[in-house]
Amino acid sequence: MKTYHRRSILMGFLACCILTFFLIGRLYYLMIGRAEYYGVKVREVQERERSIKAARGKILDANGVELASNKSVSTISVIYNQVKQPEKVIDVLSKELELDREEVAKKVKKRSSREKIKANVDKTIADRIRNMQLEGVMVDEDYRRYYPYSTLASKVIGFTGSDNQGIIGLEVTYEDILRGKDGVIYTLTNAQGVEIKNTAEHRKEPIPGNDLQISIDLNMQMYAQQAAWKVRQEKQAKSVRIIMMNPNNGEIYAMVNEPEFDLNDPFTLVETDDANASTKQNETDKANSMTEQNETDKENTLTQQNETDNTKVMTEKEKNEKRNAMWRNSCISDTYEPGSTFKIITATAALSEHKVTVKDTFFCGGSRRVENRTIRCHKTSGHGAETFREGFMNSCNPVFMEVGERTGVANMFKWYKNLGLFEKTGVDVPGEASSIFHKQENVKAVELATMSFGQSIQITPLQLLRAVASVVNGGTLVTPHFGVRVISEKENRIKNLSYEEKSAKLDEETQSTMKELLEAVVAEGGGNKAYIEGYRIGGKTATSEKLPRGTGKYISSFLGIAPIDDPKVMALILIDEPQGVYYGGTIAAPVIRQVFENILPYMGIELAFKE
Amino acid sequence: MARRRKRKTGPVKGLFLEAFRAGGGYYDFSLLFIVLLLVGVGLIMVYSTSYYSAVRFKGDSMYYLKRQGVLAFAGIIAMIFVSRVDYKILLKRVKNTTVRMPSLLLALSIVLQFYVLINGVDFNGAKRWISLGPLGTFQPSDFAKVAVIIYVAYMIHINPRALDRVGGFVRIMIPVMIDVALIAKENVSTAIVITLILGGMCFIASRNKKYFLFFILLGVLAVVAIFLFGEGFRMARFNSWKNVESDENAFQTLQGLYAIASGGLMGRGLGQSTQKLGYVPEAQNDWIFSIICEELGLVGACVIILAFLILLWRVFQIAVNSRELFGGMICVGVLVHVASQVLLNVAVVTNSIPATGVALPFISYGGTSVAMMLIEMGLALSVSYRIGTEQEGAVG
Repeated sequence: MKTYHRRSILMGFLACCILTFFLIGRLYYLMIGRAEYYGVKVREVQERERSIKAARGKILDANGVELASNKSVSTISVIYNQVKQPEKVIDVLSKELELDREEVAKKVKKRSSREKIKANVDKTIADRIRNMQLEGVMVDEDYRRYYPYSTLASKVIGFTGSDNQGIIGLEVTYEDILRGKDGVIYTLTNAQGVEIKNTAEHRKEPIPGNDLQISIDLNMQMYAQQAAWKVRQEKQAKSVRIIMMNPNNGEIYAMVNEPEFDLNDPFTLVETDDANASTKQNETDKANSMTEQNETDKENTLTQQNETDNTKVMTEKEKNEKRNAMWRNSCISDTYEPGSTFKIITATAALSEHKVTVKDTFFCGGSRRVENRTIRCHKTSGHGAETFREGFMNSCNPVFMEVGERTGVANMFKWYKNLGLFEKTGVDVPGEASSIFHKQENVKAVELATMSFGQSIQITPLQLLRAVASVVNGGTLVTPHFGVRVISEKENRIKNLSYEEKSAKLDEETQSTMKELLEAVVAEGGGNKAYIEGYRIGGKTATSEKLPRGTGKYISSFLGIAPIDDPKVMALILIDEPQGVYYGGTIAAPVIRQVFENILPYMGIELAFKE
Repeated sequence: MARRRKRKTGPVKGLFLEAFRAGGGYYDFSLLFIVLLLVGVGLIMVYSTSYYSAVRFKGDSMYYLKRQGVLAFAGIIAMIFVSRVDYKILLKRVKNTTVRMPSLLLALSIVLQFYVLINGVDFNGAKRWISLGPLGTFQPSDFAKVAVIIYVAYMIHINPRALDRVGGFVRIMIPVMIDVALIAKENVSTAIVITLILGGMCFIASRNKKYFLFFILLGVLAVVAIFLFGEGFRMARFNSWKNVESDENAFQTLQGLYAIASGGLMGRGLGQSTQKLGYVPEAQNDWIFSIICEELGLVGACVIILAFLILLWRVFQIAVNSRELFGGMICVGVLVHVASQVLLNVAVVTNSIPATGVALPFISYGGTSVAMMLIEMGLALSVSYRIGTEQEGAVG
């Protein structure tokens, strides 16, 4: 070798060295500098996350009865690479899960790391499949929300979606409390998705959700719901609402929105119209035979079904609207003209402002002229001469128009405010509506007169109940609510929920006078159909004509309080659009009597006297 | 290297040494040792990386190890045999003809390459192998590398000054490029390696390096042209390289990068790779280095690269100490061959350049490759063996 050769070789060798060091630098960059970046990515590739479902907290009634709990269900899926006998797997799964063989075959033969065959599979079926130990078939435990009393207080409790997240009602309000935290098992897998044995798997344990105890009493709710159902059938009413509340602390014992819907099947429309009964039948049948849990699939099939039957085709939008209407909690989300029950408010305002005494006399000639308008009493022949007490008992409109006039706009508005009518009640379910009042400066004589007997204003039933509660409970404006306490089973801890209470600024004299008047309505006046022997019951009837007037649509209502001398429970019933007789005193008051007859002994409220 | 010969040795080792000293030169035990080390590491890593697919597809965890082991063993025997034979017999004429051995080897290589194009065995869509029946398969392009090294060394040997002119280089180049063209048809990577061997040897042998600039420029233009106007396949490779994380064709490279990045400083430990479990396809082949990184870490990877560097250093030493040009150029060829494959392989695996399938010498699975590489080492050892006692170490 010549010297120049040696020099050339040395150059070549040095070039190799330089390139080598460049590559070592590159390795350093990849292995140390980018380790974290690629580390995250490689985990995504290599690790299989198996989530361990956390149980959602239960919802318990006032006595601890489960109103919402969890059912153990399973999700069946197949792992393509592990299936050894595809035909057998298809046979078994389609048979056991009652699925179309073609559909199952398509999924089993699909090249995917994991294909879900069916969710929400009953535990017994899932166990049967698991025991067959088919290779490549995975049975994963899951929880599904289950409501043992299906339609009970459906619009209050609400339900959860496929991801176990609350969609309406208390399930939404208390989502954070009820929702558990899913755990995860991370396992290393090879490229075929098969878990590698004997590798360290790290896991995060699931944390179950907390239980929620609510003020709803299963028995009281059932009584109320039954009564509402019955009167709705009898009166062919559009809907019947009942709220029962403890006036002293705002705990709601029952809230009925008849027709209720099935919480375990919340997407199936409950038709109220008889003309659609056949459609409903179709839907229910179809829904029952539905094996596919997927909601959109269900929709498609439903639509097809309807098309083939040549019945009314409901678009997806229409259906959603109908569902939302079905789920709507009207006790809270809808306002109405309260009518005569609102006279309690007018009377309270007038008495508090000393604009009227029970003995003041009035004359009802069947109507009263306010400015240039004649506003009639419900009794067109007129009540004649009567005291304020009698006027309250008779629910006489001219009396209240005059009382309202005496009290004046400013005072009336002051008491609307004191009784919490301008604000939301703060109830712990979503979707509460706001009341609608005239602007104070726009209220002239006519408006004042109509407002005095509960017209030309819109409030929610719960707002009325809350205002009246403050009149009879010693003057406290409570926050109506359902949630009572949060029970954390894991931490063995109970947390009582507290709610705002404020003073309605009522003097005692007004309160006792009002109680006396309310009792008189039931004992001697228009609410006598709510009278129960031996109990001192207060109340007020109402019959409000729905807007627009003249269509013959009414809301008959009755507000009852028992016992009036020491109120333990108050109930409000609204019968929407009853057929035939529509007077609140005639059709609504008896329902509350029936309910009270059942629940007063149940609540341990003793007879005040014996006759 | 007089120093080395005078080293005191024990009786057993002494005897062993005497046997090899018969040639009169010195035997480069450092090189032998480092080669055996690399082959050993290679077998361990082939076993580690192929274990999963061997069990999965062949039902025998040692399937790849056995095949590789047999050829590695045969290769070592061949290496020792070659090292004991005077490489200068390659300069002799074939009996009764005027043809000399190197030309014959190159011609044979071209014939084999023709044969493989017509009658080759197809693996993964490439016709690169000749079936040897029960003996397995043989990849003639591996043989071509040795043939080219010997041929070019011979050509330089017979006329060292020819390379000072372009014409001389072109004359050497033409027959080699015939072989390269045939190889490139099925195996571009090997064609590149052989071109590098040819270019590297001629570059080092030439006193006039200027015209190489032209050829380097030509080479660069050719590469650019391939990327710009070549088949979609080449262009796709380029795109995969640029967008390794999003390009779906870059799957192997990306998985290799995952493996490398999983290694960290010390690695997951021998046999502990997760990426070899089917994520890096055929982990025992060209991407074996990524699994080495994952299992042995940056430290292990550097040790292996360093071992290669020491090997190159030893070959370099033999080359510069060689008494005459033929042996020296053989060593240069071996050096360029090993260096280009190691650098290309590591560069590809680390996504430093667009992907091309180059085996990591001694380590990647592939019997012919390992055996041929060992024969080349035998040639280098043979050269070292013939370095006379009178040889003065000019470069230390």
